[in-house]
Amino acid sequence: MKKKLVGLVTIFLVMVIFAGCSNDSKTTADGKEIITMWFWGAPPEHQETLKKVLIDKYNKSQNEYELKIEYRNSVDKDISVALSSGKGPDIVYGSGPSFVIPLAEAGRIENLDKYAEKYGWKDRILDPIYESGTVNGSLYSLGNSLNTVGIFYNKKVLKDNNWPEPKTIEELEKIMDEAIEKGMYASVTGNKGWKPVNENYSSLFLTHFAGGEKVYEALTGTTKWTDPTIIDALDTSADWYKKGYLAGKDYTNLTFNEATQLLADEKAPFFFGPSLVYQFAAQSFSGDKAKDLGFMAFPTKDHETNEPYYTLGVTATLSINAQSKHKDEAAKILDTMMTNEFMNEMTKTWPGYWGVPLKGLQIDTSDMPELSKAYAETIKNMVDGVNKGHFGYYSGVFLPPATQQIFLDIESIWNEQMTSTELMKKVQVEFDKEKEKGLVPPIPKPSE
Amino acid sequence: MRNTVNYFLISPALLISILIVFIPGLLTVIVAFTDWNGVSTTPNFVGVQNFNELFVDSIFWKALLNNAKWTLMFVTVPIVIGLLTAMMLLKRKKSKSAYQLIFLFPYILAPTTNAILWLNIIFNPVSGVIGYLQEIGIPIDSPLSSVDTALYAVASVDIWHYWGFLTVVYLAALRQTPAEQIEAAYLEGCNGWQIFRYVYFPSIRPTFNIMFVMIIIFSFLTFDYVYLLTGGGPSHSTEMLSTYAYTFAFSAFQVGKAAAIALFMSFFGLLASCLYIWMSRNDLKN
Repeated sequence: MKKKLVGLVTIFLVMVIFAGCSNDSKTTADGKEIITMWFWGAPPEHQETLKKVLIDKYNKSQNEYELKIEYRNSVDKDISVALSSGKGPDIVYGSGPSFVIPLAEAGRIENLDKYAEKYGWKDRILDPIYESGTVNGSLYSLGNSLNTVGIFYNKKVLKDNNWPEPKTIEELEKIMDEAIEKGMYASVTGNKGWKPVNENYSSLFLTHFAGGEKVYEALTGTTKWTDPTIIDALDTSADWYKKGYLAGKDYTNLTFNEATQLLADEKAPFFFGPSLVYQFAAQSFSGDKAKDLGFMAFPTKDHETNEPYYTLGVTATLSINAQSKHKDEAAKILDTMMTNEFMNEMTKTWPGYWGVPLKGLQIDTSDMPELSKAYAETIKNMVDGVNKGHFGYYSGVFLPPATQQIFLDIESIWNEQMTSTELMKKVQVEFDKEKEKGLVPPIPKPSE
Repeated sequence: MRNTVNYFLISPALLISILIVFIPGLLTVIVAFTDWNGVSTTPNFVGVQNFNELFVDSIFWKALLNNAKWTLMFVTVPIVIGLLTAMMLLKRKKSKSAYQLIFLFPYILAPTTNAILWLNIIFNPVSGVIGYLQEIGIPIDSPLSSVDTALYAVASVDIWHYWGFLTVVYLAALRQTPAEQIEAAYLEGCNGWQIFRYVYFPSIRPTFNIMFVMIIIFSFLTFDYVYLLTGGGPSHSTEMLSTYAYTFAFSAFQVGKAAAIALFMSFFGLLASCLYIWMSRNDLKN
């Protein structure tokens, strides 16, 4: 009896262990191997575009594999949890190079050097973006799209109020003051529902007020984050916030979607935001209104040099799971996403998210709708600017994760919860720790 | 033999408890003393460094204070509303069930639904009630945007969703009060307050105590409404221990520090549990 009991308990334990270890089937009904990719919860129309341009095309191109994309609202968290347990999708979506470094160092994602050589990625991809995807000299991620923070503006609002397109910060401030006097928002934006939106503004003030060169020095450790130029830039951000230049009191009450709607409704002349906002603008600047939307690079404090100047960033990164059984095929898919053809086709119906960072970007805007044309133009100008070295840095891309979290606290300066110096002292402490651990991505040098 | 069968019968529950409670709990304690980033396979033992860093971190103390404020609000406002409403419903014969259903409605909705409803229909400055009031000339801003009011605004939404549940629980307990005791109290000339104080309340005390302790425990674990409505902002004014731990774990890749915060949360839960045991023993003695 005792032996039977021991046997039963053993069987039960084995069943429990095997139940925990069992894996989902990775084959379709018709015997194709499944390649998975997790992506953020994009709206249905954008999912449809990705299906047509990437999934269907790839699946029709061969008979052995089937690409499946799973849309998840908490993709970053899901991916780090899944990868840490040796699971997760074949193609790994990440929110930036600083997200990738811990994964690469832990051996959770694949070294892409051999694929870079095979597909010639180093020759095709913009150097600063390619470099930002490397860890200890090896490639681990590819930026899917360029992203920069600039000025969206409503051309009709500027025209109706006889405001010229601002070329300098002084002109910009003058228009915003007049807009406030007229009862409008000076500009619209907001971080409702997504606090990391703050990174756009910490990056904007670092790039355009402190300057790319100064931030480069801080990122490479030749100057401190408490440098007076950086402190001044952050103080200016607080002045702007208090003057109502960043959506007034509604900064925490607006999403990007609502902000673009307000811009379209002529409630504000400007929206300072990332170029990926084009994807939200498609809803509010539809039909004839599409031609009213303009985008320009943000002027710099010393506007006579190096303009237009760009905050260099990527919207997301793509890597390959080290546990994937289909690494070669995943690399092939990544390669198709790093082409002019992919950029043009995606941008046609999904502007804002697929400005592929190619050195030789060739854009065919002949059959693109208005917004897609404008976005393609923005990316083209940005590529020119980046090639000339006219850039600063997106904090979410070039800062290590814990330091980046402190930069998101820029609103604490705005709300007088701490001073710029106090915040930058915290940044310096955390940055030094992360730099020692090798968590700072390679920093491309801007032109002087 | 009997013992063996007993052990076999409890083994599934025991196994589940060990696998999903004891082992993760133990791992959390261990991780709190390491610099584990959540993905690395070789975390380093760092002693009490995570705790030392938290002790000098002003945001951690702010989160702790916010949790304390939150607890204070939750052991007063919804309890008072819940008890008052339950007492009022007690006298209603026909409409009691309908009211219970209405009051319970926010509680059965998913937190995401409630949060979206409040964000978009009430607090939205463009299309919500706040926007409408602004448009008709009333100078009002969303309370979520101010560092002085955001915590109370979020707590209000959570209390709005929770008090109906307390009402239903208290009502169920109140209905168990022996009718002869109530009648006797009336015959003795007790007023409404005296009947509540000396008849109803002693009768519902065990339910009241357990709900009181559960509220304290949940207050130190609160996450959903804060995360959904403000994400801990603006400027950490609604930061809770749970949201701060979440940021460390999933944004800053500092799982060790997140585990250290989780231990603090568990510590306060443990204190509340001790309080409950003490109250239960006192009740038994009396």
